[in-house]
This record gives sequence, structure tokens and C-alpha cells, in this order.
Amino acid sequence: MRWKQLILLCLAAVLAAGTAGCGQKDDGSDGNGKITLTLWYWNRSMDDNLLKQVEQKFPNIHLKAEKIGGDFKAKLMAAFAARSGAPDIVGLNDWVAEFFPNRDQFVNLFDYGSKELKPLYLEWKWNQTVTPDGQYQIALPMDTGPTALFYREDLFQKAGLPTDPKEVSAQLKTWDDYIAAGEKLKKATNGSVYMFDNINTVFNQTLAQSDKLYFNTADEFIGDQEPVKRAWDNAVKVHELGLSAGISGGTPEWNAAMNKGDVASFIGAVWMKQILMDAAPDTKGKWRIARAPGGDGNSGGSFIAITKQSKHPKEAYEVIKWLENPENQLNTLGTYNLFPSTPSIFGDPKMTPQEPFFGNQRTNEIFSESAKHVKSAYRGPKFSIANSVFSDKLSTVENQNLPADQAWQEAIKRIRKELLLY
Amino acid sequence: MIGQPIWKKALLHLVLIVGVVLSVFPFYWLAVMATSTTSDIYRFPPKLTFGSQLIVNVQNVLNHINFFSSFLNTVFVAVVSTVLVLFFCSLAGFAFAKFEFPGKKVLFTLLLVTMMIPSQLSLIPSFMIMQKLGWVGTFKALIVPGMASAFGIFWMRQYATGAVHDELLSAGRIDGCGTFRLFWNVALPILRPGLAFLGIFHFIGSWNDYLWPLVILTDPAKYTLQVTLSQLNGIYNTDYAMVMAGTLMATLPLLIMFLLVSRQFISDIAAGAIKD
Amino acid sequence: MTNPNTAPAATGRKPAGKQAELWREIVKNRAIYLFISPFYILFAIFGLFPVLFSLYLAFNKWDGIGRMRFTGLNQFRYLVTDVQFWKAIWNTLQIWVYSTIPMLFFALLIAFLLNAAFLKYRTLYRIAYFLPNVTSIVAVAIVFGTLFGNKYGLLNFVLTSIGLAPVQWLSSAFWIKIAIASMVVWRWTGYNAIIYLAGLQSIPSVLYEAARIDGASTWQTFTRITVPLLRPVILFTVLTSTIGGMQIFTESQVLNGNGGGPGGAGMTIVLYLYQLAFVKYLFGYASTVAWGLFVIIAAFSYLNYKIVQRPDAS
Repeated sequence: MRWKQLILLCLAAVLAAGTAGCGQKDDGSDGNGKITLTLWYWNRSMDDNLLKQVEQKFPNIHLKAEKIGGDFKAKLMAAFAARSGAPDIVGLNDWVAEFFPNRDQFVNLFDYGSKELKPLYLEWKWNQTVTPDGQYQIALPMDTGPTALFYREDLFQKAGLPTDPKEVSAQLKTWDDYIAAGEKLKKATNGSVYMFDNINTVFNQTLAQSDKLYFNTADEFIGDQEPVKRAWDNAVKVHELGLSAGISGGTPEWNAAMNKGDVASFIGAVWMKQILMDAAPDTKGKWRIARAPGGDGNSGGSFIAITKQSKHPKEAYEVIKWLENPENQLNTLGTYNLFPSTPSIFGDPKMTPQEPFFGNQRTNEIFSESAKHVKSAYRGPKFSIANSVFSDKLSTVENQNLPADQAWQEAIKRIRKELLLY
Repeated sequence: MIGQPIWKKALLHLVLIVGVVLSVFPFYWLAVMATSTTSDIYRFPPKLTFGSQLIVNVQNVLNHINFFSSFLNTVFVAVVSTVLVLFFCSLAGFAFAKFEFPGKKVLFTLLLVTMMIPSQLSLIPSFMIMQKLGWVGTFKALIVPGMASAFGIFWMRQYATGAVHDELLSAGRIDGCGTFRLFWNVALPILRPGLAFLGIFHFIGSWNDYLWPLVILTDPAKYTLQVTLSQLNGIYNTDYAMVMAGTLMATLPLLIMFLLVSRQFISDIAAGAIKD
Repeated sequence: MTNPNTAPAATGRKPAGKQAELWREIVKNRAIYLFISPFYILFAIFGLFPVLFSLYLAFNKWDGIGRMRFTGLNQFRYLVTDVQFWKAIWNTLQIWVYSTIPMLFFALLIAFLLNAAFLKYRTLYRIAYFLPNVTSIVAVAIVFGTLFGNKYGLLNFVLTSIGLAPVQWLSSAFWIKIAIASMVVWRWTGYNAIIYLAGLQSIPSVLYEAARIDGASTWQTFTRITVPLLRPVILFTVLTSTIGGMQIFTESQVLNGNGGGPGGAGMTIVLYLYQLAFVKYLFGYASTVAWGLFVIIAAFSYLNYKIVQRPDAS
């Protein structure tokens, strides 16, 4: 009697697991001659309504847009490693260059005539999509992250600093100006308010303003030279003058510090607007935006690509070409605050509404100017290897009082050693 | 409670209550966040009292993601996978605990060895295996690998070693039981508390599993809860109040299940295994 | 333990019959092999293969997508002089000491208390203690981030309110480890307590009765009856805590991100491994690290096993 029960149980379990697991083989088309394209993106990286419109614009296409939360890269890499399971169209973040060594996982958009689209996009953004030999374009630009100075108008006034955005942009032109203003603020508030949130921001934002980063286009390490050294020195100077609050971004601590007014400014990308608004509702109306001291830069931003596993690359190309045209980018700005990569629309009034959180300033005027002046810089696939070491050393300097010169030497040494693993 | 002095009772309760407060507090705060707004969550000093936003947050969750279908998927995967694990691990654990056979040491050591290799590394090779088997995107891929739980066998072996006494098995043999009946009729009832524990633990693990389902599932209709919930996170900023509400919704069923099953392995009267 | 299956072993085997003897043993135990084979077949595919694959990878360079390039022992040579690796091992060992020892001690204590025959509100206690293990820790990440904040954290708020100095939970090399360790203790004490409780349930109450009649004190009952009978379960928790403790990952990632905090003070060995594989695309070297870790875990586990499995005194 027990045997029967056992066998039945096993059978039931196997049947259940087996039938539930019946996945249809997807050859990318259904009965009516429509083709199916899958698209992977993450929350708020693309306009959901726009994606719905794809099927109206392209009646022969059925678009399966899938939101992937969390570890997007791990999922994509698993699909690449197994050579199956990748979507037709995929969103990529600013780590797009990390895929240059494996560019053959993506369709070369030049093969579909994408060169004709170049004039539509910001040149530095376009350059990020093309491999250093200029032959292979692995993605089209999506949104960008032009940077600017976020500052508290009321705290600046207290310190006797200029408050109007135009004046701030004019008077805080260099990092030295910015640091000097920081000292003024410290004196005026008896050290209770900091000009900078942490020195990693100083380092990264100085770097974002440069035309060279850690590697040259032959992927050789040049991070021990200018401008990396200058970014490092800026960060160290801010630390030694005691002008940084030492609070890492993206943490509840940072949010609390902003909300309480313990930090008076930071250089950040346009997408920091939403973060700041969520983090510091008590400071509504007190923030303003000015041009960043040291120059304009870019931080973040995303891209859209077609994987080689796609069975319909031609149709996919038409779709992404349409998704990222200037008109659609203009509309996406309104809904999701995703800053466009197509400068032709920068003059449109829809780009520059008044924003109450920033005292009714039309902040995108500043961000548009910033976006137009970003310098083109080569990131390369190993950018984050070098960046993570510098970040770690800087936070050790800031939090555990490691001497700065020693930290620099250790950073260079460690990066060179790790590069041997590649 | 005969003969125990008051101070002993009080001390006992005090120690336990301190432990309870420490255990429960983060969960309490989670509930507070789920009833607040996202801005409230960032306040300092932190807000520790319940807000009034629970309904709003829950509605947000339901609007953004397909909660109930993921819920059903998760239940299905967790239940089937747990039943299978209980059966196969108790069978094998019993064998290791009570019998000698050639190769026993080697086989068991192999288990321990694999437990010592971090599972993060097996993500990509496991995906490649699934691709070869054609199981990518199926529930099979979630259920079947879990059945080979080294931890499960190890636990059942240890429990069986202590709980199932050899005299019982000998008695069973004398009564004419075959090996399977020894397992099914004699050992299994005694193993019940151990099984209940393994069941609960495996169920929770399956329920909260995130990275593997994220990577292996392709059809959003098949997503399990943790994967679906992760869709609520934005790349630059997140509505934490909504996410916390979603987390609360995903955790409550586990609590209820734990309540129901815990009686199985924590009986109010200490059970005697040897009948007089 | 006696084996109900075999007759008393014969003395003086004939050498020629050894193979045959082995085969006879196997056939005699075929039911047992049947019992374990479903498991081992699945295990071979889903458990063993990835492990063997990672062993193979340890001798190759691989970015996870492209071609694999054989490098022989180079990565092992690198491992021996890799400062980050040894630092991570040292961090992990410290966190293990700060977390596992208090955790197992509290777990045993709580289980013992919860098992007391005179306890009311049992169910509520059980739920409360198991609660930490029920929630996904990633979900409660923000709770701990807010708890341990340097300037605006709840813990420091409480400390300064009662006049103590705030602790640099997230920046100090030492306190980061304590923060991670306390997350581990929080999460796993109840779980281990439940394990001990399940084990305690299998100790016949008859024995306790007999001890009480003989006039044994609580301490004597605990050391002479409870602990020895609980030994298999204790061994289980010690071994799984050792293996699990050396692989602490989520708690550290949740608190400090992938970088392990300032100076890598919170960088555990598995976090380092994860960073190598998924952030730096060094799957080959990550596998090498995993096998280096294996050697250490195996040695450490063996040590703990020997300590717990003392030969019985009587």
C-alpha cells in the first residue's frame, strides 16, 4: 500500500514539474506573420508608454518589453555565456565599454547604416558607442547625465557667496574657486555645514570633466598621469582643509545629511535631481543649479543595443532608431526626467519647465549647456578596475586617515598588479 | 509550573524578551517603513511610529507589478521543491546515518566538499547546463537543482543519527521489514521534527531565492516573488515605501506557514522515542 | 553502531576474494544505493559539475563570455602574493569569530530556555526568534543601513542620547566587522536555536525524569545529558556555521556595497570573489580564489570537527 503511495507521489511531482516547465520554443514569430522582438530594460530607463506605441508604429512587430530588476548585468552575461536566451534589444548602462572585448555579442549597427544618424546625437555620447578602431558600433545613445553644481542658495547667502545661478557660474569657475568658497562657508557656519559631501565626488566629477581617463585607446594604463593626478589632488585638498562631510552617496546617511542641511552643495548629474527631491523634501525651494566649477562633465547615461542572438536584427534596428529619435526623446524627458542625447531639441520649451524644488529655476537650461560642452573621453573596458581602486583608497584617506601620498602609491601599484590578471 | 521560584521565572522571561526585542525590531521598522512615505524613511531622527500610507503603498505595489501571479508561481515552486527535497534527502540521509556500505565515506565527503565552494561561482555553469538541457525559462530549472541539497542530506543524516535508535531498526528487521519499510514505517515518523525543520528552511530559501530565478526565468508570467519585487527598484532612485510594502506582503505568507508547521517540530510536550 | 544488514564480519579474508567481497557488499546493499542514487544523479549534474567547472576555470583566464585562455598555475602563484586575498581571509576569520561563537552560544541558551517545561507563550517566542530568518536580507538592507549610519544612524542616536560617543560603524576598520557580525548574529541565532530545539525534542523526557529523581542540578543535567545527546546536532551547527561563516557575503554586500567599505575592512572572501567575477570579469581568477578558500575552509572545518567529536568519556 505504501509503495503505491510513494510511486504516485513521485509521478505527480515529476508530472507537475515537467508540464509546468513546458516552455514554447520561441522562433520569434507567431502565426499571423508578425514577428516578435524581446527587449530588456530596467525600471524607469525607458518610457513604458512609448514602448507600447511601438506596435502602432510598426504593425508587423510584436514587442515583448521585459523589465529586469536588480542584477541586470549578471542575467545578460549568463545569456551571452550560454550563447542563448539573450533578447533582441537590450538597454545598457554607462558600462557599455566593458563589452568592447566581446563586441561580437552585439550587432554592428554600422552594418545597418547607422552612420547616417551621427549628426542627430551629441558627439561625445556617440563616441562612447563605437570601439576605438572606429569600425564597430555596438549601441545607439539613449539618455545622458550632464553634470552641474547643485547648491543651497540660502546657505550660500549666509556665507556671503553669490546666490544667483548666473553669478555663481561666473564666480565659481575653477576648482580652486570652489574650494575657496568652501573655506568661506566653513568659517561662516563655524564648521557645521560642509561644502562637499565626500571626496570621491570631487575626484569623480573632476575626472568627468576631462578628455582623458585611466586608459588610452590602446587600453594601456595612463592613470598615474594628468588628469587623474589632478582629480586626486583636488580630492585630497578638500579633505585636508576639512571641507568634506565624508558621507557616501546613495546611502540613507547622505539623504539625511541633505535633508538636514549639513551639506551645502555637490556636483552631480541631472538624474540627481529626482534623488535629491526624494531624499530632502524639507529643503524644497532652497536648491539651485549652476554650471559646474572646473567645466562640464557627464556621469552615467544609457544606451540601447541589438544582440547577435536576435533573429530579426533589421527590424530591431528600425525600432531602436525610432525609439531614440529626437522627438521621442523630448517626450521621454517630460515623463521620466531622462535627459536626451539629441541636441536638436534642446531649444524646445518642453525641455525647460520651471521647477518648484529649485525655486522655479529652469534647471535644464544649465544642463543643456553642460551637455553640449562635455569633452569626449575614452573609458575603455577596464575603467571600473582602476576606478574602484582609487575610490577605495580615497575613502580610506577620508575615513581612516591614510596619508594621501602613500594612498596614491598604493593605488597605482595595486592597479598595475591587477591588470596582470587580464 | 511546580516548584520554580518567581525570580527564576522572571529572569527567564527577561532574557527571552530582550532577545525578542532585538530579533523583532528590524522587522518592526520594516513595517513602519511600509506604512510611511519614502521621504519619512529618510528622516533624522528616524520615524519609528506607524504611518497611514499602508493602503497607498500596497496599491502602488499592485499597480506596478503582477503580485498575485508571482505569488502563485512562488507557492508552486516552493511547495513542489520542498516535498521533493524532503523525500530524497530523508531517504539518503537515513541511508548514510544507519547503514554501512562501500564508498560511504567518499560519497559523503564529496557532499561536504561542494558545500565549501561558494555558490555564486556556479551561476554561469549552471545556466550553461540548463541551456544544454533545454530547461532555460522553466520551473524545472528552479525545482530540480534544489533537490540535490547537500545541506539537506547532511542535516537529515545528523538528525537520524541521533533520533533513530538502532534497537528500533533491529526490532523492525525481526518483524520482517524490508529496507524501504524500515525507512517508511519505522524511521520516518521519528524523523518528523527534523523533516519539518528542513521543510521550513528549504521553503523559505526557495521563497526568498533571487539571483538564480532572475537569471534563469525568461517569461514574466513565470516570475517568482523576489524577481517581481526587484522590478520595483529604479536604477537611480527607488520608492522605498512601496518596496517595503511589497516586501511585507511577500513575507507575511512565510510567517503564516511557519506558524502552521512549527507545531510539527516543536511539540509542547517533549516526545519520547522509546516506548516502554 | 550496529548494522542490521550484515552478519558479523569474518576474520582472515582470502586475498583473491577481495574484489568479489567488495562486489558482494555492493549487491547486498543495493537497496541503500537505490536510496541515495536519485540524489547523487542530480547532485552529479547540478552540484558536482559546476564545482568541477570552477576547478577547470581556476587554471584559465575567462571573462565570462569570450574565449578561455589556459594559464596553468599563474593564477595560483598570483593568489599566494595577493594582498587583497589574504586581507579578505583575515577579515572573514575575524567576522567569523565575532559572529559564530556568540551566535551558537545564544542559540543553545535560547533553545534550552524555550524547551523549559514551564514556559508560557511558547509560540510567540518561536515566531519572534525565527522572524529574522524569514525576511530576505536584501529587503531589510535599508533598515540596517539606517541603523548603522555614522552620523544619522539610529544606534548612534541612542548612544549619544545616553551620553556615549558615537561609533563609526561604517568607516572604522574594526566596527565595520562588528556591524557585519551583528547582522549575522541577528539573522542566524534564531535559526540555530530552532535546530537545537528540534534536537532537544528528540531527547526522551524519561532521562530528565531520572536525573531529577537522582537529584541532579540544572547544570549537571545540561552537561551530562543534554549536550552529549545533542552532539550530532551540535556538530551539524558547528560545521554549517563554519562553512557558512567563511562564506559570509550578503550581509557585507548589503552594508557596504561591492567594495567592502573603506579600506576594504568589510571585504569578506566571497565578496572579493563576487567582485572579481561580476564586476571585474575575472571568472578564472575568481575560481582560483574559490579553491584557495576551499583549502582553508576544509582545514578549518576539520579542526572544528575534531574539537566537537571528542571521544566519548564513557
